[in-house]
Order: sequence, then structure tokens, then C-alpha cells
Amino acid sequence: MTRVALAAALALALLAVESVLVKYLGLTLARIDVTVAIVAFLALRSGLLEGACGSFAVGYLLDLMSGRPTGLYTFLAVLTFLLGRIGASLVEVRGAAGFALFAMAADAVHGLLALGVTWLTSKTWGMGALSPAGLPLEVLLTGTAAFCLYPLLQKFGPVAERPEPGLIGLPR
Amino acid sequence: MLALLKRHREPLLVLVLLAYPLLQLLGTGARVREPNLIDRILLGATAPLQRLLVAGIDGAAGAWERYVSLRRVERENRALRGEVQALRAEVGGMAEARQENERLRRLLNYPDVGTGPRVVARVVGISPDANRLTVRIDRGEADGVRRNMPVVTTDGVVGQVLRVTGSGADVLLLVDPNSRLGVRVQRTRARAGAAGTGDDRLLRLDYLLRAEDLEEGDAVVTSGTDGIYPPGLMVGRATRVQRQGSGMFLGAMLLPSVDFSRLEEVLVLSPPASSGGMAPRAAPVSTRVEGPR
Repeated sequence: MTRVALAAALALALLAVESVLVKYLGLTLARIDVTVAIVAFLALRSGLLEGACGSFAVGYLLDLMSGRPTGLYTFLAVLTFLLGRIGASLVEVRGAAGFALFAMAADAVHGLLALGVTWLTSKTWGMGALSPAGLPLEVLLTGTAAFCLYPLLQKFGPVAERPEPGLIGLPR
Repeated sequence: MLALLKRHREPLLVLVLLAYPLLQLLGTGARVREPNLIDRILLGATAPLQRLLVAGIDGAAGAWERYVSLRRVERENRALRGEVQALRAEVGGMAEARQENERLRRLLNYPDVGTGPRVVARVVGISPDANRLTVRIDRGEADGVRRNMPVVTTDGVVGQVLRVTGSGADVLLLVDPNSRLGVRVQRTRARAGAAGTGDDRLLRLDYLLRAEDLEEGDAVVTSGTDGIYPPGLMVGRATRVQRQGSGMFLGAMLLPSVDFSRLEEVLVLSPPASSGGMAPRAAPVSTRVEGPR
């Protein structure tokens, strides 16, 4: 569970940094989803339970830092993690560039899911808050952040194969 | 059942992790829950980092702004220094022009002497020959300047035109050893002659009878008897008056009223009307010194 704690601590620090940067840069439409990059890394490098717990923690923090803790981002983080594991079983991700592309795909999925779930769960929420207009830029920024974070994320532990086989931990 | 749960513990836990926030989301909808203890701890943990970052960014931005501001001030300072220098030069030039204007005005207001036109000229050079005290002016025959014309300033007599070319003329200064002119002591009206000594700060007073009254500082003016200079022009003031026991004349020197080392603009006058048809009684010595020595 060290990796979970590290992921949560890193997510907390990055979210704090991002919140300050957004204050100065004024990225109102497009944000940098650093948490998705962490979730994507967990999907690639950690076990099912460990990754799910880490994603839950990261999503929880995102919910908390978003100012609207409704559980949406916690749910989406775990879901993105699981989808990421499926994706990772289909493609081979190597190097910072590969990880950046993987994180971009995860962020696109995460963003679309956020829009969809928001639309499904609440008719009173304005879609403007989760407008897809900023999604392409958001995905690009997240990919860039993932590329930069890759060396740091690798220090979470030795690059190794996932400890258990299968997409969701069930033996083949 | 328990065995099944134990066997699929991880997927079930993941399912719980997935379902819990979803149920919370579905249950609360858009309502924002109040922060619990964990929320408060986590938010409290990020606050110092955020404050540090904001302070760092603000500090860096402030330093950068101050740097940029200093650079701008430095540029402005440099520009203003240049402007100040240019303005100082301009003011200096204007002061010079004002002084020149004043001198020319005084020259133009010179008392009516002579009969012909006056020519204002600028001194453009000094004779390189140390034995001949002449200056060059920028007016010549084309401007009506002729040989032997008297040259004056508002302070007094400068000399006479020695040589004329189309666009310039040489003026033999009073202090040249070859200069002679007729003078009169202004106070007593006694007539005498004055001659240059070669020293630009001294003239010699000649032919003043020993019986005449002369005191230190007496003003000496042109007498008009030499046919060159109109009468009444200031020549200098008496100094070093010596009354010897014998002889017809007393010895004295004159301090020229004109500072020959600071000549800038001069006025070329026409000779006195009487000189036109009369031979000068005190012919200018310059006529005797033509040609190179």
C-alpha cells in the first residue's frame, strides 16, 4: 500500500500546484488532469486492488480539491483505472512518449465519462461547467504533464509486470 | 459463501470502491457534502504548499516586475540624460546666439560716424605672422569694404583695413607697430598721436606737449586729423604718464579700449567725408609696409 500512499501524496501535491498554476494562468476551460496521469500509471504498473485503492484516493482528492465533492471524480478515477487496465492489456506502452499517449487516451475517456455521467445524474447541472470545448486542449496538456511526470512516477517502484494476470485479477 | 468471498476478495473490494462513490453521486446528486474530518485534514495539508507556491510565484513575479521596471527606468534615464545634454547644448547655443545678437545690435546702433555704409563683419582668422598684428574678416570688396577703411567695435577703434579681397579683408590692428593715428585727450582736447607697440595690450602716446595736462586714466579718442578714423572714437586710456625734465613731449602709454584677443564682430566704417579729396594728414603706416617682409 506504499504505492497508494505515494500516489495519493503525489496527487495531493500536484493538485495543490495545479490549483495555484490555474490561478495564475487562468485555464478556465482546459485543465491539466494530473490525477488521470497518475491513474493511468497505476493502471499500467500496479495490481488490481492496489491500483483501485490508489485511484480511489486520487479521485477522492480530485473531488475534494474541485470544491464540489459529489463522488463523481472518485467513481470516474476507479472506472478509468479499470478501463486503463483493459487498455493496457491491448497495447504495449513503453517510454515517456508511450505513457503520454496512454494518459491522453485515459484523459479523453475520463473527460467524456465525466460529461456523460454528469448529464445522466443531474439535469440541473449546467453543461457549461463540463463543456467538451476544452477537452482537446485538456487532453493535450495532460499528455504533456504525463510526459514530464513519467520519470518521477517511475520512482514509485521498479518497472515490473503487473503482479497478477487478467484484466480484473481473475485467474485466466 | 465465505469461501467465495475470500476467493474473490479483490474484485469485490474493487467493486465496492467503484460502487461507493457512484452511490454517493446518485444519492446526493448535485448537492455538495460538508467536509468531514479527513477532508479538513487533507485540505489543511495542501494549504501550506499552496501558500508557499503563491508566495514563490508572487515573489518571482514581483522581482521580475521590479527588474523590468528598473530596466525601463534605466532606459528612460539614459534617454533623459541624452535629452538633457542636447538641451544643454541647445541652451548654450542659444546663449551664444543671444550674446552674438546683442553684440550685433550694439554694432548696428553705433553712433553715426563716417558717411558711407557700414559693414558688419565677423572676425574669421588671425594672422599667423606674429610680427604683424592683423585679423581677417569675412567681408571684402563685394560687400563694399575698401582699403584704409576704419574698423571699430562698440568698445572703440580696432584698426584699419590693410588688404581687401573679393570676400574678405585683413585688418591691421591698432597695436601693430606699424599703426599710427591721430588722437585727442578727451578731457583737455589736446592733440597727439598714438602708435602700436606690438603688444596687444598697450599703445604708445606720441607728440603730446610736455605742457599739456594728462592724468592717469584720461580717455583718449580719435581726433579725425589722420583722414582715416572719424573723430571721437574711443582709443584707450592714459597710463604710465612720465613728465621728463627736458624735451618737448611727455611720455605716456595707452591701455586700448578694445580687447584684441576677444574680437568677434566688427564694424567697418566709411572714411570721414573730409578724407575723400584730402590727403591724410597722418597717413596710415600700413601703406608703407605692403608686401612680405
